[in-house]
Amino acid sequence: MLFVLWAVATIIFFMFRLMPGSPLTAFIGTTFTEEQHDLLVKKFGLDKSLFEQYFLFVTNTLQGNLGLSFAYNKPVIGMILEVLPNSIILTLFSLMIAYVFGIIGGAYLAWKRATWVEGVGIPIVLATRSAPEFWLGMIALALLSFQLDIFPAGGTSAPGDIYYSTLDKLLDPQFYHHLILPSLVLAVYLQGLPLLLMRSNMLEVMQEDFIFMSKMKGLSSWTIVIKHAARNALLPVATAFTLGVGFAFGGNVVIETVFSWPGLGRMLVFAVSASDYPLAQGTFLFLAAILIFMNFVADILYLFLDPRVSYKTRN
Amino acid sequence: MTIYHHKYVYFFPVIIPLYVFYILVLKTLIIKWRNKMILKNIKFIATTALYFLLFVLYPTFSSAEEVRKLTLWAREQGAAPAAHTAALLIAQTWEDLGLEVEVKAVPWPQMADQIWYKRGGESSDEDSWDVTMWQMVSRPERSDPDEFTVNLFHTTTAPKGYNFIGYLDPAYDAIADESRRTMDPVKRKVLIDQAQQHLADAAVNAYLVHPLMNYAYDNTQFKDGTAIEQAGMGIKNIWTYLNIEPIGGNKDLIAQSPDEIQAINPFFISGGTDSWITENIWDRMLRIGSDGVPVPWAAESYNWVDEKTIDVTLRPGMKWHDGNPVTTEDVIFSFSATQDIEMIPMYARFVKNITSMEDLGGGTVRFHLESANAAFLTSTLAKLNLVPKHYYGPLLDALKGTGNNAETILEEKRIGSGPFKFVDWRPREQVVLTANTDHFNPPKIERWIVKEIPNVEAALGMFRKGEINFISYYTGDPTVLEDITAKDGDITLRKSVDIGFQYLAFNHRRAPFNDVHLRRALSLSIDRDMMVNAAWNGNAVRAGSHVSPALSYYHKEGIENFETGIDLAKQILEEGGYKIKGGKLHYPDGVSEQYPN
Repeated sequence: MLFVLWAVATIIFFMFRLMPGSPLTAFIGTTFTEEQHDLLVKKFGLDKSLFEQYFLFVTNTLQGNLGLSFAYNKPVIGMILEVLPNSIILTLFSLMIAYVFGIIGGAYLAWKRATWVEGVGIPIVLATRSAPEFWLGMIALALLSFQLDIFPAGGTSAPGDIYYSTLDKLLDPQFYHHLILPSLVLAVYLQGLPLLLMRSNMLEVMQEDFIFMSKMKGLSSWTIVIKHAARNALLPVATAFTLGVGFAFGGNVVIETVFSWPGLGRMLVFAVSASDYPLAQGTFLFLAAILIFMNFVADILYLFLDPRVSYKTRN
Repeated sequence: MTIYHHKYVYFFPVIIPLYVFYILVLKTLIIKWRNKMILKNIKFIATTALYFLLFVLYPTFSSAEEVRKLTLWAREQGAAPAAHTAALLIAQTWEDLGLEVEVKAVPWPQMADQIWYKRGGESSDEDSWDVTMWQMVSRPERSDPDEFTVNLFHTTTAPKGYNFIGYLDPAYDAIADESRRTMDPVKRKVLIDQAQQHLADAAVNAYLVHPLMNYAYDNTQFKDGTAIEQAGMGIKNIWTYLNIEPIGGNKDLIAQSPDEIQAINPFFISGGTDSWITENIWDRMLRIGSDGVPVPWAAESYNWVDEKTIDVTLRPGMKWHDGNPVTTEDVIFSFSATQDIEMIPMYARFVKNITSMEDLGGGTVRFHLESANAAFLTSTLAKLNLVPKHYYGPLLDALKGTGNNAETILEEKRIGSGPFKFVDWRPREQVVLTANTDHFNPPKIERWIVKEIPNVEAALGMFRKGEINFISYYTGDPTVLEDITAKDGDITLRKSVDIGFQYLAFNHRRAPFNDVHLRRALSLSIDRDMMVNAAWNGNAVRAGSHVSPALSYYHKEGIENFETGIDLAKQILEEGGYKIKGGKLHYPDGVSEQYPN
């Protein structure tokens, strides 16, 4: 796990420095002098050799110091932690809605195989999966926010609201009022995966002998579907959930832009486009770490969910 | 005589068949004449004659080299739609002049990398841009033409500064330098006019348009007529924030910006939106008035003792946001602390000219300048933020020796003396300022809020719903804004000509752009009205110089009213000795490409 992290960090480091564009382009102005340019180069450490910079980067990261952002002049770790609650809550909320709906929907569609429900349901699910997020978001905004005025149009709070701490903000029901629309739109997009996955697993499981046995035993359809079939079909979906958390974290740029949600994705896009090396490196590294960790969690999860899997050696 | 290898492309398919035909005709004729002597030697004579024609006379007649394919750099369609469309139209126009033009649409970082950082490289391969679309945006300090007049075209800013086009003209330097030294506005206008004309005659850049900026506000929340236009800045300026009257229940002005707010720091010039906030929280000695001319603000008055000495008198009774009084000590601190280029790199340039300051007592500070500078009022006194010594002095001292500079000040408290006090900043979301009722010119609104909204359509929707009530930075399609203004009825839309401009920059270091005839022809072939209507959809006015019509005093009257057209361009090319042969533009005889010129 640590090796993967190190490899990712190295690739990120060199990738940014090899891209065209320089962090100094943000400062170009008619009064930008050579003196200022040289000072900035020194401040950013760009006058050192590439390998010297790399060595500094590795040693600093190991100490937990992700550097100072070029554009903001603030510590990168601080900036990431600032936006983290927003991203975490949005991601988890949407994923939960998506997965709960997906699991139930998948099980239902599997049950209704070869009926008209399936014939209508599958295309709808595929449509939600392939529809562009920003389009869905804009439609939702236009309908639910601008026309019907049920939900606010963006941000995490109304303009002018002031909170004294992040916890204050998270406890305010306003926050959740603002959260509903972006997470619903994101959930619509995300539910395709668990739904289809669940459905195909269910179909497989329904063919198993023990289901046939349960039917012979005379158990109600409800018991068979929920207590026996779904439980077994759930395993891959659980894995997908943990991996989904890892992926969804930094990948919500579109939703964040459409709904002006202050999250990690927007910060990342800004960092890359402004060639803000420390911020971009730090954020990418952080996301990679989360992804790798969630991978690990997925492995462990299987240990608990599936009694057949064990880390003990076979004797 | 140089070898024009591409000429031999024509040689084989054209000349050799002609030669063969020629020999056959001659032979037939000679057989008729029955002259054996000539017949025997005819091939030799004919060949020599032909080779003489081809290799001696032909090159000298048509020694013209074809002008190579040009690259026109532009930003991408999505990033700058109007400029991108303009580039495509211009490329098409130039093809009528016999040029092959490739439009290279790249993202801004790549453009800056090539055009800014790779200028004047060792070979023409490195410095490989020919023409590029470029722009200058409006800032209050650009209300004085000095910044553009000098920094864009002076020979000293060509190696690393803003003269990236490489325009080197000592005659122009003389005009620009003199305009900077001339204090008398009437004499100065003559010089600025001269500068504009000089650049236009030399077609240094092909100026296209001054864009129209669109601003809007909710007229059920704000009284019409209380928003103030500032020359070249529209209604988005401090005078509007001070004067705009709220009617109805909501007494807050809620503006929007699609840009990230990077810092709120009086020592850091970190971005456009950031500067709106900084201007509100911190006062300056003078401020740029709504007509573009600096007016006394934190200073009660100023007096030029001689051209290198100025006395500025502080307004009495001003207080910092923490209650302490504003003193001349603070004034001297604000200007002297910024002279440390390592600590405050962004502002050092503006105070470099100050050699010393004296406190004359009675609230007056005397500034001694190294050299006379007509723009001192705008570029220094109206630009530097007044900061309290008792708060920022210790902060700056603490930073000395840590390797960090003033841009890293992270203190939550921001203390100034401006008409708005800092309340709260939630990064990537909003900034809230509240009115400073103790100020000598307090605002009529209660709070000034700016929300970060990256999506322009969402911003429009919020505006119509009333979540925000002031469109301060509109990056979308102007026709959409016009439509909803007409439909909704509670929106007031104000368009204003920008100080900034959009233009085509030539790389003067590369042929053919070192030749004024070609530059003039290329510039005059572009129909400026077509640019305004087709590329900017009518949301712009013609541009003829770097001084916008919004700066009505210094703008040279009529400089953008010049004739354009393909025929005119062709005429100018002919005067310069260029020829269009076979649909391709050729250099004058004897001229070939060289780099650097």
